[in-house]
Amino acid sequence: MAKAFPSLRPQTQGYLLIAPALAVYALFAVYPMLNVVWMSFSAWNGLSPTSRFVGVANYRAVLTSDPVFWGALTNTVYWTALAVIVPNVVAFGLALALNQNLPGRSGLRVIFYLPVIIASIAVATIWKWMYDPFFGLFSNLLTTWGLTDFIGDWLGDRRIALWSVFAAYVWQTVGFAMVLFLAGLQNVSTTLVEAARIDGAGRWDVFRHVTLPAMKPTITVVFVLSLINSLKAFDIIYGMTGGGPAQSTQMLAMWAYTQSMQLGDFGKGAAISVILLVVTLAIVIPYLRWMQTQSEASK
Amino acid sequence: MTIRKALTGTFSALAVMAALGTGTASADDLKLWTLSFDSPTVVSAWKDIIKAFEAKNPGITVMMENRSTDEHKAALRVAARSDQGPDIYFMWAGLGLGGEFVNAGLSKPLDSYYAQYKWDDRLSAIAGSYSKLYPGGRHGVPYTFHGEALYYNKALFTKAGIAAPPTTYAELKADAAKLKAAGIPAFTFGGSVNWHLMRLMDAILESQCGADKHDALKAMKADWASEPCATASFKELKDWSANYTLSPFMGIDQSQSFKLFLANRAAMMLEGDWLVGQIRDAGRLADFDVFPIPTGTDRLYSFAEYYYVSSKSKAPDAAAKFLDYLLSDEVQQKYLGVIGSISVNAHVKYDNVDALNQRWLDIFAKYTKTFVNGDQAFPLNVTTEYFRVINEVASGSIAPENGGKTLQIFISANK
Repeated sequence: MAKAFPSLRPQTQGYLLIAPALAVYALFAVYPMLNVVWMSFSAWNGLSPTSRFVGVANYRAVLTSDPVFWGALTNTVYWTALAVIVPNVVAFGLALALNQNLPGRSGLRVIFYLPVIIASIAVATIWKWMYDPFFGLFSNLLTTWGLTDFIGDWLGDRRIALWSVFAAYVWQTVGFAMVLFLAGLQNVSTTLVEAARIDGAGRWDVFRHVTLPAMKPTITVVFVLSLINSLKAFDIIYGMTGGGPAQSTQMLAMWAYTQSMQLGDFGKGAAISVILLVVTLAIVIPYLRWMQTQSEASK
Repeated sequence: MTIRKALTGTFSALAVMAALGTGTASADDLKLWTLSFDSPTVVSAWKDIIKAFEAKNPGITVMMENRSTDEHKAALRVAARSDQGPDIYFMWAGLGLGGEFVNAGLSKPLDSYYAQYKWDDRLSAIAGSYSKLYPGGRHGVPYTFHGEALYYNKALFTKAGIAAPPTTYAELKADAAKLKAAGIPAFTFGGSVNWHLMRLMDAILESQCGADKHDALKAMKADWASEPCATASFKELKDWSANYTLSPFMGIDQSQSFKLFLANRAAMMLEGDWLVGQIRDAGRLADFDVFPIPTGTDRLYSFAEYYYVSSKSKAPDAAAKFLDYLLSDEVQQKYLGVIGSISVNAHVKYDNVDALNQRWLDIFAKYTKTFVNGDQAFPLNVTTEYFRVINEVASGSIAPENGGKTLQIFISANK
């Protein structure tokens, strides 16, 4: 490349090289995002050729008279809080176990990673079938074991429906975090581990003072990725409950989609999307800054 | 290579690819967007219809795209601002669904085609009447006219000591009690698809409020909060769901519910005439019968499905020609009982129909007035809230006394 543009400065060549990617990013990410913000101040049904500026009316409607919004926000918050903890703790444990010299280790890694490559909608279909209260796997197993009292309306009882979906989500996502943690574990210095052991450190001390600090960058990446993925949780819930029963498993991302694509209220859908974006940024940016501060302090 | 040369080359290649991409479609390639069909018999019938039409009309090809209900609605909305949408699209004919697209100018008025092909001479008046709902022209042609009624399992009715189907709402309730006493749930519903349980609520409203009041409530001209029959209806809904419905039902969908019906787990199912095809596919025609919902108003619970020609179609003549073939005496006669129990074509002869379809013919012959499904009567946002309130009442999260009030709050806030 340098030979192709010998007259250009290295910085210019750099900008030139990233220009196509930037153009694609601007067209398919930045422009739609700005458009959504603009749309959130408009009224548009998706069918008429023009939209109408309505100020903050969509936000007011969403925050004050939408009977589903606050439930969806609460679900999103609970879901996110658990989604950044439960699958990642399980994944970390699996990664630690599968980092040991176990027989069949590679096969086990594949088995735990397999759900990640299945499309979410297929995962939803599989679990929906397993949760069928009449013909499903869980109901049949419980019947076989004589535990019929424990057969529930897994996806129809509003008290447990969201968590039934969450179990499927954990099953689907654990493998991804596990692979990232496994990659991170390869970067833990064996010299440091051995030195700590020579100094008399036990297993817990090695984990606490050597492994965990070395895993910090990986943990940050996994945390941020799972945070963002959980905040925009959509497809698995859409496939398993469609937000029901009675919108009790509704989430912000899906409610934004429902408002826009199913009810044709693009303004309100956009307003919900913007609120979701603000919530996401409000959590992710302080966390990244805190991690950056920690990283700089440790240098 | 200079930057200029590289960019020129790239854009030239893109331009050639774009030209090739758009050049492959002929003006008479018709895109038909419709729903996914549940019955293999219907799928097969549609393939045959398209094949036969293409054979009769060389140069016209029909590409059918099938989607589930929600995906179909979403795809049409996306296509509304694009030139890549369908030439012909399926939609329910009521003002709440099909009407939204017609009012947005996305349906081509078909008056000239109605005249050219003399469709009115062959269409039944009630099926064709939905094309006249809009000012400024006639929109769409009927594909089906569907009635919804109560299918019942004959053996389970006999087991519960029920000699004949009920003819009044009180008798229906009494029969449900007899079934319950015999250990048989009266109904099966799939609560996860909101529209299934909605049918029960629609039927209850018709029986508790009467025709005029029911229509006023659905038109949002009567107050759901203060109207006693609305509260009574929600109480009835709660009673049916708590005492006479196969439980649990909120987590299953309509197809799972139908499997339970076929497995003799419940005595009745509130379905349309299209279920005959599915019962036939299951080889169980002899086991079931059907009777109108005894609401006491002499109105049939029904709706129409239409095919509309898109206002953006580049081949409206070919689209009309296809619709003409679909509505023809030949096609409607050949696929009678597959597309629907009753044809929208008035020339069709009903010989050798099976017992269930004959029952439907009797039902259609008996009624002259209709009431439509809630999701076709309300605007989309109110429909969504109607679904939510119904589900909340059925699952006990909202007291029946507060059902109407909750719905009215939403209606008032969104008027």
